[in-house]
Amino acid sequence: MGTYRCWFGAPSARLRRSHFGAPPVRSVLGAPPARSVLGAPPARRVLCALAVIATSALAACGSGSGATSGGGKSIQIWEGYTGAEGKAFTHLVAEYQATHPGVKVSSLFVNNDYTLQKVQTAVAGGNPPDIAYLYGSWAPNVAKLSGVVTLTNVVKRPGVNWNDFWVGERDVATVNGRVIGVPALVDNLAVVYNKALFAKAHLPLPGPNWTWPQFVADARKLTDPAIKQFGTAYVTPGSEDTVWHWEALLWEAGGTLLNSSNTKAAFDSKAGLASLNTLRTMSVTDHSMYLDPTDSAYANLFNSGKIGMLVTGPWDLSGFPNVHYGVQIMPSFPGTNGGHQTISGPDNWVVFNNGASRVKTAEDFILWLTAPAQVKYFSLKTGDLPIRQSAATTSFDAQMDAALPEVSTFISNLGNVRQARPQIATYPQISQAIGTMVVSVLLGKSQPAAALAAAAAKVNQILAGSG
Amino acid sequence: MTASVALGRRRSSERAPRGRRGRVETLSGWAFVTPATVIIGLFGAAPIIWSLVLSFTNDNGLSSTSAFIGVRNYKTLIHDPAVSQAMGHTLVYTALFVPGTMLVGLFLAVAMNRKIRFMWFYRTAAYATMAISTISEALVFIWLFDPSFGIVNYVFSLVGLPQQQFLNSPSIEALLVIVVMTIWGWSGFAVVIYLAALQGIPQDLVEAAAIDGAGRWETFRRITLPLLSPASLFLAVWLTINALQLFDEVYLSTRGGPLGATTVLVFYLWEQAFQNFNFGYASAVAYLLFLVILVVTAIQFRVGRRFTYYRS
Repeated sequence: MGTYRCWFGAPSARLRRSHFGAPPVRSVLGAPPARSVLGAPPARRVLCALAVIATSALAACGSGSGATSGGGKSIQIWEGYTGAEGKAFTHLVAEYQATHPGVKVSSLFVNNDYTLQKVQTAVAGGNPPDIAYLYGSWAPNVAKLSGVVTLTNVVKRPGVNWNDFWVGERDVATVNGRVIGVPALVDNLAVVYNKALFAKAHLPLPGPNWTWPQFVADARKLTDPAIKQFGTAYVTPGSEDTVWHWEALLWEAGGTLLNSSNTKAAFDSKAGLASLNTLRTMSVTDHSMYLDPTDSAYANLFNSGKIGMLVTGPWDLSGFPNVHYGVQIMPSFPGTNGGHQTISGPDNWVVFNNGASRVKTAEDFILWLTAPAQVKYFSLKTGDLPIRQSAATTSFDAQMDAALPEVSTFISNLGNVRQARPQIATYPQISQAIGTMVVSVLLGKSQPAAALAAAAAKVNQILAGSG
Repeated sequence: MTASVALGRRRSSERAPRGRRGRVETLSGWAFVTPATVIIGLFGAAPIIWSLVLSFTNDNGLSSTSAFIGVRNYKTLIHDPAVSQAMGHTLVYTALFVPGTMLVGLFLAVAMNRKIRFMWFYRTAAYATMAISTISEALVFIWLFDPSFGIVNYVFSLVGLPQQQFLNSPSIEALLVIVVMTIWGWSGFAVVIYLAALQGIPQDLVEAAAIDGAGRWETFRRITLPLLSPASLFLAVWLTINALQLFDEVYLSTRGGPLGATTVLVFYLWEQAFQNFNFGYASAVAYLLFLVILVVTAIQFRVGRRFTYYRS
């Protein structure tokens, strides 16, 4: 799978460790040789040297514009696929080129975490890719980039069947009514649990109607400090990964993040309190929650049978070969109208303007790539959830489960995605304020009510434009 | 006629070194330095100047229109509590990391500056910390210091010390773990510098001190330490500059958390630029950092020179 999703950032870092250069040496150069080493330097040699430099400089400048040849039938796509995804994608590209003579799709691997940065640079340099894979959380900011092609009419073309994409995907591909992308990937959160630990604790397995109080009680019973076993875990770097887990709870408790016009915080509510209290009970009162500031340790611990239940996405499943796990949809809050919901983190294919003919080639390719047949092929080869509802048939789900046990629960859970995060450019700052709120409650540093009030004030400040 | 021609020739040949031939030499000189100049200019100087320009704008790295807003970013920065917090963390980290690394490095170097068996192995082992990638280093330390499963808390429990939260602690504890992590990573560098300096200490001075009745500690304090002072100054400056630019370890282990407890200046800058898309503001923070480094380094050279002994 390899779609480890990390938000607004990367676990892989640029390494700075190459700084141990030589200590400042005092004048190694000393006095320069009095006479030219070349002897009498003929002017021609100098000119040659300059010519070589100039040529290589020009060559370096020109190397980026290779895709301009081919009369608009040659396009470049930036994607971050590795492993099985890489193979499946390469296969699809080859198939497209074989069935569309004259079209050349060259793909360039770019680490997904850095694509926006690189696209920004490319746009500034006037030479963007024709298509780029961009995180959905960036969408409001991507919409600001010059050269992003509006696809609102493109997705209305006959045969595209835009409504076949899950509503969560369509929401994230649309910024202020303007479609800026075509869905590339979709996932969601559900509960992955260790069946053996449930059996050992004599607990019934979670059912589709379960509730958060039940989750909390199960977590308590699955916790055993003597053998360092935890009922559940929560990622606490305070990043978007911390935040979106909580947002699902907020929605299930019947709350919303912002008001309907996205101008004021709305989470300082009964629902906000219920969701934070639930987390606090587990982390502070029961100590049944393993807090993971690294955003990576929890998966290893679950695979080692040290954690009973995880709220996580389908991308983690392939990392649990050592445990017999089950998947259940998120529990609900009794007495609220939230029901069983989840949150989805879709990503987009975004088209950039490199002239009308290349835009057309890019649009045609991306519509083909996201057509039902290709979606099915890609999901079956990679275990990624299908980005179209029509793909999720019973036989398809069975095929998916055969490759990756219980992944079909995540597929059906896409139907529980009823809301999307606010599509506004200041969302990253809002996310930070909420991350701080959630972590301070989990670490027992603030009471839920106080934390909610503080975060709401901060968010209102950000929305008012003075954050 | 002939004379004037000859004169003219002579004059022109006299001018030649500064004229045609000089020009050729100048040109060939330029030809040699041009590639390096272009590369340094393009990838070194240009970004530095560009970010200075950016720091006076509200550039968000996305839209092509960004307005010149004067020193507003710098004004915001002065009143930004997150900046002063990050600055505090950066300075505390530097104050712990630099002396810590130098002491560990000095201790190991002195211990290794002798002729015993397998010395090559010990020296290689000490330097190996420099060769290990920051990612592996961070991963190992995350597990060592895991509050529930880490070996450090296990050892604490064996000797009856209270269990610590380490990287989960929003107090200074998380920053301390990063200090320990980076001291481990950089001590190899300090060892190499100190070992080289130790081997440059003339044996006759040490012998003379011994004859004068100095003990081992006296010799170390009066002979070795002063003669190591140039190396110490270099290390202090070098490690400080690196410490003020701390990023990797924070990024890999805590992401600035918990609750901002390990947010240092460069991490805050990165957050502003690449998470919040405030490139203008981030550039202003970068220039603040530049200023801090400049001032700290200048002070170090000033103060350090007084305590540094150069043998001529």
